[in-house]
Amino acid sequence: MRGRPALFTRYESDSAMLPTTTQRVWLLVGLLVVAGAAVWLPRDWLILIATAFIASVGVIGLNLVTGYAGQVSLGHAFFLGVGAYAGAAFGGEATDKLVGFGLDVVLWIPLAGLVAAVIGAAIAPIAVRLRGLYLAFLTLGLVFLGEHVFREWDSVTGGPGIGRKPGVLRLAGWRFDLDGEIAGYAVTREQQIYWLALIVLIIMAFAAKNIVRSRIGRAFAAVRDRDIAAEVMGIDLTRYKVLAFAVSSFYAGVAGSLLFTVTGFVNTNSFNLLLSFAYIAMVVIGGAASITGSIMGATFLTLLPRLIDGAGGVLPFLKVSSQGLLSTSQLERIVFGALIIGFLIFEPRGLNGIWMRIRNYWKAWPFSY
Amino acid sequence: MTATIDRPSRPDGSIRVSSLPGRLRELASRQPESIALREKEFGIWRETTYGEYWHDVQSAAMAMWQLGVRPGDKVAIQSENRESWVIADLAAQAIQAVSVGLYATNPTAEVAYLLRHSESKILIAEDQEQVDKALAVEDLPDLEKIVYVEPRGVRAYIDPRLMSWAAFMAAGRAALEDDPHRVNGLVDTIDQESTATLVYTSGTTGPPKGAMLSHRNLTWASESAEDLIAAGGLPKGQPQLLSYLPLCHVFGRLYDVCGALAMGSCVNFAESIETVVADLAEIQPTYFPAPPRIWEKMHALVNIRMSDASFVKKALYTVFLKVGMKNAERLLATGSRGFVGEILHKVGQVLVYRSLQRKLGMQRCRQATSGAAPIAPEVIKFFLAIGIPLYEGWGMTETTALGTGNLPGNARLGTIGKAVNDDVMIRLEDDGEILIKSPGIFQGYFKNPEATAETIDADGWMHTGDVGEWDGDFLRIIDRKKDIIITAGGKNVSPSEIENQLKVSPFIKEAMVIGDRRKYLTALIGIELDTTSNWAQRKGITFTTYRDLSEKPEVIALIQKQVDAANEHFARVETIKRFVLIPKELDHEEGELTATQKLKRKVLEDRFSDLIEQMY
Repeated sequence: MRGRPALFTRYESDSAMLPTTTQRVWLLVGLLVVAGAAVWLPRDWLILIATAFIASVGVIGLNLVTGYAGQVSLGHAFFLGVGAYAGAAFGGEATDKLVGFGLDVVLWIPLAGLVAAVIGAAIAPIAVRLRGLYLAFLTLGLVFLGEHVFREWDSVTGGPGIGRKPGVLRLAGWRFDLDGEIAGYAVTREQQIYWLALIVLIIMAFAAKNIVRSRIGRAFAAVRDRDIAAEVMGIDLTRYKVLAFAVSSFYAGVAGSLLFTVTGFVNTNSFNLLLSFAYIAMVVIGGAASITGSIMGATFLTLLPRLIDGAGGVLPFLKVSSQGLLSTSQLERIVFGALIIGFLIFEPRGLNGIWMRIRNYWKAWPFSY
Repeated sequence: MTATIDRPSRPDGSIRVSSLPGRLRELASRQPESIALREKEFGIWRETTYGEYWHDVQSAAMAMWQLGVRPGDKVAIQSENRESWVIADLAAQAIQAVSVGLYATNPTAEVAYLLRHSESKILIAEDQEQVDKALAVEDLPDLEKIVYVEPRGVRAYIDPRLMSWAAFMAAGRAALEDDPHRVNGLVDTIDQESTATLVYTSGTTGPPKGAMLSHRNLTWASESAEDLIAAGGLPKGQPQLLSYLPLCHVFGRLYDVCGALAMGSCVNFAESIETVVADLAEIQPTYFPAPPRIWEKMHALVNIRMSDASFVKKALYTVFLKVGMKNAERLLATGSRGFVGEILHKVGQVLVYRSLQRKLGMQRCRQATSGAAPIAPEVIKFFLAIGIPLYEGWGMTETTALGTGNLPGNARLGTIGKAVNDDVMIRLEDDGEILIKSPGIFQGYFKNPEATAETIDADGWMHTGDVGEWDGDFLRIIDRKKDIIITAGGKNVSPSEIENQLKVSPFIKEAMVIGDRRKYLTALIGIELDTTSNWAQRKGITFTTYRDLSEKPEVIALIQKQVDAANEHFARVETIKRFVLIPKELDHEEGELTATQKLKRKVLEDRFSDLIEQMY
C-alpha cells in the first residue's frame, strides 16, 4: 500500500522482488549505469567485465544446487564444458572435421543450456542417493570423465592441442562479434559482447530469483536444511534434487556456451578441477544461497587478477616478471587461497553477508538490532 | 428520522445522523468502495469495504432479529478485537437492541456475573475458550443462543444453544434477501435517547457496573471526535486506525467505532496484543490512542535498544534527544519550536527521529493520545522530543470517553488539558472533585439506581470521583478521590503521581504507593521482566524465575537507584522511604489487576500485607 510499505493485502506484494517504487527506480538506474558504462570503459575492461557477467550466470547455477539445495557439486566444470561444446556445435560453422549447425545465438544459447540440463538430469538420480562428501566425490568423478570425453571426441571438440572456435554470435545476420554500427554510432565487438552478456545475466538472474522465492526455492531450502525433515513435510526428494541438478546444469550450460566467445577459442583442457574449484570459491566468497552474492563473487574473483596486476605497478615488492620477491601470478594464487580461508572463517555468508551487514546497519538505524 | 438533529449540518452538506448504524449506512452509500476494515489472516491483511461492512451489519442484524432479539434486548460479545466484534455491535444497535462487551480475559466467574446481570439474550463468543466459559455457567435463563466465531474445537460440542458465526451470517443474509427493508426501517426509527450499549466499568472496587450509553452519547462522541480531528488539520488520504484497545472499553470504542465512523477511516485489527508492535510498524496508524502502559513500554524499548546501540548511533541519539527535549519544552510553552528549533528538528528528523518513528509505527501518526490512566510528564515530553505528537486526554466510561484533552499548540504538561469542546462543562466541587456535564454523560448504571444517583446529581452534573485543580485554563488531576493518601502527619499525597514517576524507569512495571495513616510512604514495586532480565544478563547475574530475579540484591540495588531518581521530583514527605519487590507478576486472572491492567489496591494490600507490614 502506498506510503505504508509493510502493509500487504495480497501475497503477491508480500513476496514481491522489488516491493517499493523506490527500489524499482534504483534498480533501473543501476542497470542503466552498468549498461552505459560500456561507452567509456576501455576494451580490456569490457572483456573482463563481460567475462564476469557470464561467470555470474555459471555461479548462480552452482549456487542454486549447492547454496540453495545444499548439494555440493564439484562437477560444475564438466557442465560448463558441455555447454561450451554444445554451443560450439549448434552455433559454430561446420568444417570437414568439425560438427557445426550455424544456428542463431538466440537458439544455441538455450540449446547449450538444455543439453547440459539433460545430462545433469540424467546423472542426478545417482547423485540423489548420496550426500555430503560422497556426493562431492561423485561429482568430482564427472570432471575426470568429462576431460576424457572432451579430449577424445574430436568431431565436436577439435581434440587436444587443436580445439575449436565457440558458437558464432549471430542474430538474423547481425554479428555481435564484429565491430559494427548501431543507429549511426560505431560500436565495438567488445561493447556488443558486454551488452549481450549483461542481457543474458539479467534474464538468468531474474529467473533464478523467481525460482528461489517460489515453491521450488522453498523446497530446495528445506532439502538443504534437512532432507529427511523435508521428505516428512511431503517434499519429493528425488524430484527436487533432480530439478536442482538440471536447473543448475542449465545455467552452467548457458554460461559455458558464452564463456569462450570472449576469447574466441575453446581448449579441451579448460574444464578441469581447478575451474570447478574456482566456481566453488566464487560461491563461497560471494555468499551461499544468494543470487546477488553469486554476481558479487563472480565479479570479484574475475576482476581480482587484474586488480593484482594493477597493484604490481604500485607496490615495490611486486614484480610482473619472475624476479623480485613475489610475482603477480604467485601473489594471485596466495590471495585466492587466503580469501577462501578468510571468508570461510570470518564471513561465511560472503560478500553478500558483508553487504547485508552494511544494509542492516542502516535499516536498524538508530538501533543496532 | 424521529430524533431531532440538534447540531448544524456540516459544511460538505452531509447530514448529522442519529445513530452509529445510520452513520455507517451513510458512509456505505457515499464511499462504498473504500476500505472499512482490515483483518490479518495468514500473513496478509484481508479487506472489507464500507459497502460490504454495511451489508454484513444488516445481515447480522437480520440474523439477530430472527433469533428473537427485539429492541431493548441485550447482545453480549466476548471476543478479542476483530471484524465480527464491530459487526455484531453495530448490528445490535441497528435493530435497537443493546450491545454488551465482555473482555476476552474475563474469567468464568465474571462472565457469569456479567451475562446474568446484563440479561443477555445472545452471546457472540470468539472461540472455544469463551464458549467454555459461557457453558460452565449454569442458570442463565435469558441466554438463548451462543454464536461462536472460531469453530475450532467447538464443532463437537452438543448444546442446543450453540451456532456458528458462518451459519448465523448465512441465515442473516438469507433473511435480508427476503426482507431487505426491515433493518433500514429500524435504523430510521432509532430513538436517540434509548440505550445503545452497556459498558461495564472495570471495577477496581466491587463488582463491575454497567454504564448505559445512549445513541445520543455515541453520536455526540463520534461528532466531537471528528471536530477534534478536523481542528488538527485533515490527513491526506484515508485515516488508518489500529484496533487493539479492547473494544469493550470505552477508550477503544471511541476510536475504533465512533471515531472511525466519523472520519470514514479504515480500522485495522491487530492480530493479538502480543503482535501490536509489529502490527503498528505495518499499519503506521494516522491516529493512535494508548494507555500510559504502552507509552511507557515504547519509551523503555527505545532506551534499552539505544543503550545497546553502537557508538555513533548512540552519540547522535544523545545529542538529538537533548535537542528534542529543548524543542519539546518550547513547543509546550509557546506552541512552536521557533526558527532555530525547527531547523534543528528537521535535521534531527532526518538523522534520528524519522527512523525512530518508523520503528515505533508512528511515522504517519498525526495525533497520539494517552488516556485511560494518568501518565508521567517525562514520557510525554520524550515522545514530543522525537517528533511524535503525544498529548494526554481524559474521559471516563460515564462521559463516553470524552472529557478534556490537550491539543497541539494548546497543551500544558502534567495537566489533562481543557474541555474537548463547548458542549462540555466542567467545575470543581469544594473538595476538589471534578464535576462534568456534557451530551456524553451516560444514562445511568444498569439496574443500579443507587449508584446512578450517587454519580449524577439532580442538576445533571456527573461526579467523576477524580480530584483536580485548575492550572490556569488547564485542569490538573490530583488523583482518584478514594485513592488519595493522608499520611499520619496529615499530609495529602497523590499516589498515582508518584507511581507514574516510578514507572518512568524502564525497569519498573507496576508500582503501588502505600502510606494511608502511616508515618511515611512505602511502595510495592513489580519489576519489568524483559528489561530487567536483559540488564541482569549483561551484568552476568544468573537467575531462574521472576521471583528469583526480584530477590537478587543487585536488582534491589538497581530499583533503589530508580526510586532515588524518582524521589528527586518530590517534596520530602512525598518520597518513598522503603520499598519491596513483589515476588510475582500481577495478573487479571488472579484478581490483582482489572481487565484494563489497573491495580486493585484492596486486593494487593490484603495479599501482600505481610510485605507491607515489614516496611513499617
